[in-house]
Amino acid sequence: MSLSALAASDRLRSTSRSRRAKDRILAICAWAALVVAVVPLLAIAIFLIGQGVRSVSTEFFTSDPPGDLSATGGGIRNAVVGTLMMTGLATLIAVPVGITLAVFSREIGGRAASAVRFVVDVLAGLPSIVVGIFVYSLVVVATGHFSGYAGAVALAVIELPVIVVAADELLRLTDRRIDEGTRALGMLRWRSFLSVFIPTALSGIITGILLAVSRAIGETAPLIFTALGNNFFTLDMNEPVQAMPLLIYRNALNSAFPAARDRAMGTALVLVIIVLGLNLMGRWIARRARPADQR
Amino acid sequence: MTTGSQARGVHTLRRLPGLNQDRWFRLALRGVAVLVVVPVLWMMVDTFSETVPVWERFGIPGFVTGMRWAPSFVVYGALPFIYGTLLTSAIAMLIAVPVAVLIALLITDILPPRARSTVAVTVDLLAAIPSVVYGLWGLLVLVPFLRPFEQAVASTIGRVVPFLAGPTPGPSYFAAGVVVSIMIIPIIAALSREVFAATPRLQREAIRALGGTRWDVIRTVVLPIGRSGVLAAIVLGLARAIGETIAVTMVIGNAPKIGGSIFSPGFTLASVIANEFNEANQELHPEALIALGLVLLVISVLVNGLAILIRQRFAGGVGRVA
Repeated sequence: MSLSALAASDRLRSTSRSRRAKDRILAICAWAALVVAVVPLLAIAIFLIGQGVRSVSTEFFTSDPPGDLSATGGGIRNAVVGTLMMTGLATLIAVPVGITLAVFSREIGGRAASAVRFVVDVLAGLPSIVVGIFVYSLVVVATGHFSGYAGAVALAVIELPVIVVAADELLRLTDRRIDEGTRALGMLRWRSFLSVFIPTALSGIITGILLAVSRAIGETAPLIFTALGNNFFTLDMNEPVQAMPLLIYRNALNSAFPAARDRAMGTALVLVIIVLGLNLMGRWIARRARPADQR
Repeated sequence: MTTGSQARGVHTLRRLPGLNQDRWFRLALRGVAVLVVVPVLWMMVDTFSETVPVWERFGIPGFVTGMRWAPSFVVYGALPFIYGTLLTSAIAMLIAVPVAVLIALLITDILPPRARSTVAVTVDLLAAIPSVVYGLWGLLVLVPFLRPFEQAVASTIGRVVPFLAGPTPGPSYFAAGVVVSIMIIPIIAALSREVFAATPRLQREAIRALGGTRWDVIRTVVLPIGRSGVLAAIVLGLARAIGETIAVTMVIGNAPKIGGSIFSPGFTLASVIANEFNEANQELHPEALIALGLVLLVISVLVNGLAILIRQRFAGGVGRVA
């Protein structure tokens, strides 16, 4: 070996040492970053479970909150029912409309489709408080009062882009050969949509719906001046309706009172369990539907 | 005659009665699209037409650069809130971007393959927690926790730099920035992860085969190829930070003025709307709040548009909804 080659290999070894050191530093930083992100998750879990559990009892779900937030006792029945009603109606609106919009932009194409895509992109990027303002002037001002219907419309606007994007993705992934096969067999487009696309994409659609619902169910900002919230139980969506996020928000703002703080934490625990449950269920369905080798 | 029979075939196909049904199908699709697009556009125009008196009275530059927000004197200026939105977003991005990109790299290039999806799902769960729960936790746990740190900074560096000076009441731009950073880390991490995972496997393996470390792979393949995709992810995270409402409202202290220090209480565009809209009964107050909503919408449409532009340059494609 010549002298210069020896020198070169020496240099290579030293640079390799420094590269290895950099590699290790990178790995340490990356692990530290993960810790930074996961600590809040653990902290929130400990906080909610440690502080929230003691407020949760049977009475918590079967009675309504006291008119005065600072008073102890009462439950969150009206908020649970209100959340279910508004999210349910929002989903009933957003799912068919969202799937239709996705199919529209695939089937029709052209400038109309890009207009639809643009509107969906704008909706997806809309701050949720702005959705609240829009629905306020569209529904609340028009009807003259706050209502559960207005809240449901606002939540539907939140859900819509999530569902369109999920359905669009599914349409893109649906096997071209199946699609062309149905055409070659002379199947009508609407038949192929109903009896081929919907069944093959069903698990994906359910996942999209669950993720959209888990997003909408925790939204507060669009409800503040649409559903408004109240302290009593109602099944009439033409009146102001309470929701769990609203109840947490209002009680948290009065968290100087121990009763309000406990009520907020108990409700937050229930809400997080519902949201994470829906989210994980959606992921589990999506995972199960995928072929084994792609899991 | 092939052509003849083909022509006849096509002819029969055209006359199939069912094809009319497809025309109806398309018509129905079109109908739903119109029924959605038109109200959405109308809703926007209708809402913002209510703000006309505000623009007439203060002018666009006058409103946007107005420093004073005093509903009882019918004086409305948006600058304190624009400042608050930009400052909290900047704090949030400073914390979230390095953490999120490192997490994405950890998941795609450093962790053993078996652990990847578990870590990815755990980080994603952070994105699923409702804003109001972050706000509650921020208010009751994080704000008191950050206070000694704020006091330490304010009593040392803060003596020289007014931007970091006390007093430190707790709720502040800084607290809001920290809460928002926690909320956008999973969003930027998830989008960056997709980008990194899409970089060519062959090139990664080639670098490793040449004796390169994981750092070399990241430096020479993953980052250069993923650059614009990560940029798009960061911009989408920024859009989210700008629009974040409830959690911010709960920890920013709600003061309608420009706080000189990051430890001062303030307001963002979104949080002042959430906080004041229901009680807005002064002259022009609701209209001025809707005008703030328009300012917020313009900023977030610009930021989202930037993300779309970047993404179009990037061939791989990042998820459309964060």
